[in-house]
Amino acid sequence: MPESAALQRLRDAARDPRAYVAQWRAHHPGCFVVGVMPMNFPREIALAAGVLPVYVQDDQRPVAEGRAYLPEFYCGYTRNLADQAATGRLDHFDALLLADHCIQLLGASDVARAIGDRPVFFGMLISSLSDSWAEKKIAEMMGHFRAEFEKLSGAPVEDEALALAIEAYNADRQLLRRVFDERAAGDTTWSPVELQDMVVSAQVMDPVEHHDLLVEALAAAPRGERDDRVRVHLSGHLCHAPRRELLEVIEETGAVVVDDDLWSGRRYVQSLVPFTPGEDPMSAIGRWYAERNVDLPCPTRVQHDVDWDAWLIDATRRSGAEVVVHLMPKFCEPHMLFYPELRKALDAAGIPQLLVETEHEGIPLEALRTRLEALVERAVRHRPAYA
Amino acid sequence: MTTTAPTAPTAEPRTERLAITREGGRMIADYWEDLFVARESGRKIVWYNGGALNPMFQAAGLAWCHGEAFAARLAAQRLEGPAQLAGAEYGYNAELCSYSRTHLGCAVLTLKGSEEPDSGVVGLHDRADLAAKLPAPDLFVNNYAGCSTGQQWDEVSYRVFGKNVPIFNVSHPFLWGNRPDAGYLVGSEWDEASRYVRDQLVELIDFLEVQTGRPFDYDALSESMTYIKRAGELRREGLDLCKATPAPATFWDWISCIAPINFLPGNQALVDYFQNVKDEIQQRIDAGISGVRDEKYRLYFDGIMNWNKLGFLSRKFAEHGAAVLAGRYIQNAFWQEPHLIDTSDPLLGMAQHYLLCPTNHGSKTLDHLTLRDCESYGIDGIVFHSTRTCRAFTGPQRLLARSARDNLGIPSIFFEGDVADASFYKEEILDSRLVAMLEAIDVARERGDHRRAGRGAEVAWPA
Ligand code: SF4
Ligand code: SF4
Repeated sequence: MPESAALQRLRDAARDPRAYVAQWRAHHPGCFVVGVMPMNFPREIALAAGVLPVYVQDDQRPVAEGRAYLPEFYCGYTRNLADQAATGRLDHFDALLLADHCIQLLGASDVARAIGDRPVFFGMLISSLSDSWAEKKIAEMMGHFRAEFEKLSGAPVEDEALALAIEAYNADRQLLRRVFDERAAGDTTWSPVELQDMVVSAQVMDPVEHHDLLVEALAAAPRGERDDRVRVHLSGHLCHAPRRELLEVIEETGAVVVDDDLWSGRRYVQSLVPFTPGEDPMSAIGRWYAERNVDLPCPTRVQHDVDWDAWLIDATRRSGAEVVVHLMPKFCEPHMLFYPELRKALDAAGIPQLLVETEHEGIPLEALRTRLEALVERAVRHRPAYA
Repeated sequence: MTTTAPTAPTAEPRTERLAITREGGRMIADYWEDLFVARESGRKIVWYNGGALNPMFQAAGLAWCHGEAFAARLAAQRLEGPAQLAGAEYGYNAELCSYSRTHLGCAVLTLKGSEEPDSGVVGLHDRADLAAKLPAPDLFVNNYAGCSTGQQWDEVSYRVFGKNVPIFNVSHPFLWGNRPDAGYLVGSEWDEASRYVRDQLVELIDFLEVQTGRPFDYDALSESMTYIKRAGELRREGLDLCKATPAPATFWDWISCIAPINFLPGNQALVDYFQNVKDEIQQRIDAGISGVRDEKYRLYFDGIMNWNKLGFLSRKFAEHGAAVLAGRYIQNAFWQEPHLIDTSDPLLGMAQHYLLCPTNHGSKTLDHLTLRDCESYGIDGIVFHSTRTCRAFTGPQRLLARSARDNLGIPSIFFEGDVADASFYKEEILDSRLVAMLEAIDVARERGDHRRAGRGAEVAWPA
């Protein structure tokens, strides 16, 4: 099937966010563009202030000058961020903002602050979500973000503008989520790489523009039906997208990806801001943050009654996934800490799994292929005889 | 150009460690022994991580086990192996913070021990296994500032124990310094964060009351904080005495004093200990005794401790006539600002100390503290311990190295090691880089350019 122009534009924005920002600036003279760090930034507040908030991506270039700023045992994403900061590849942003407390992300952001000349604002959203005071602290911090964007744009952020921004992001996420839900239900129209491009472009683009292009791209595609390939759930890979060749190898081994909880996948699209017109948009944004971890648990958050392991098993049941491939970015501490809990639960549920530690500069694909083939074979052997 | 080679390492040890630290060692050994019999004596046991909450637990009548301290102790005694192996078998990656994976390994062993009660068969566990087995917790309290791993680690411990042990989290805002008035101990961000953490300590007291079934003893808290404040003051005074040239005691002596100030009960014995530390230092100054015989270089050590190599590192530096005098882990940690403590109402000052964890500052503040200490101790060079599995300490190190070079002309080296995993230590790198830095300092001195050896030099980044 020839690729639609809309899909091409989404792919271009995903793979070259700098070019997208330049185009956006050309159409919005005098407006600000900020880089925001993954994974829980309330972009609605920025958009309501007339500011384009772009999730800063791993641009997948090798880390060179960044080595002089962060140790080699930081995760690939943060080392790449330091490299972007050191080589002026963050210069298309007027400011950088972050809300997530990951010590490695803070390290990289501090480098960007120390060697750049743009403001770097850290509004730390509480990560311990079981605490009785969490709701109050979230609301307070969201208020700080609002004040920060008012300072940047020089104008008050109005409730109506917030409502519109929420609706714009919600519509876009909802449409993306539909695509993910359809995949989990058996649709194979989109390859993992195409889905990744759709999500990453959503993390970069203006939501209305993204939504319109996505509608077009979806309309142009005929639906594909699931066959008897081994069904895979991809798990993990926080904060940045895995390399595309890795996703390709997975499907080349005779498997089909049916669901995921990747940051460049379902993790980004899963939660909508629970907003009904007429209510306070700021409190809805606060609830969005609090509920994101319930909708799809994250090891960077601490919430005693929310379990990523249980969520993962439910997800495999919903999608019919037969195996789980953990994509763990090397040195990602929260993932390393939580992985044994996932492993234990999947073992108990009898779901075959494979841990793949990804590296920023790529991993040997042939060795990975062999391991994946072994996993696929195991899954086939696992199938009931009548299948 | 002639250069003076750094003093050749001598066979005879050049370190003169403080004798009193042996007494500290005995107090610590007693403390752990007491912990291991706490349950038998009717006390509940709390596992905690991060800032020194022990005065709270003392006042609540609990026995306390600081996870990092226990991991450090195992590493210093080279008994970390079984716990780390148990952690690895459970699934923890070798690149995970080695404090957490040692302690989680202990949790796995402890749990296994309680699920398979001692059969009475002699030799069932070997000595090291036993050393790694902690008394199981009755409650967890997390009090980690700065490093996100600290909070996640306790959450995972809670899960390893099947979510059957109650847990309380204290959240700490990272002192990033967004606002123009932000700075060390000043600014609205500091004030707000202090109040927020103080309020959580009030909530913690409620939690402790529920867990112990007793009203919290505020008088006991004031009393223990009175002792801790005094011990903190004496520690500071002792540290200030070490600015003398030659220095009467070194960073390594102060490392040996961490455990007492970090988790021993607040009582008269603690005050006496730090009084004795200070007195011994003063006596040395009076008698002209230095911590490193024939001190030639004065160095700063940045990074968390390499517990596997403590004695070894202290001898290695001394062999070259290098007195390591100050470091982020000493000057900027452990009740280091005792004036903040109001003993009649100590919660705010305690909260502030928890926030002052040396990993809880943005690099701007760390830079201020590092330059301040380098200047006041007359530092010639900085040694960065590039602690493989501690991203919290290592993150800002390269920025600090650049700043010391650019602002004070101080050269730096980095060496690879780890907090509790000896396999990451790279001796040759430390050896060659240390010699090169000391040579550069000599060259600068010959040029009459004392403490300017780093001017224009490239920072020697880790390989
Ligand atoms: S959560 Fe993991 S991937 Fe994200 S910044 Fe932290 S260490 Fe890196
Ligand atoms: S990484 Fe370092 S600061 Fe963080 S929990 Fe481990 S030892 Fe503590």
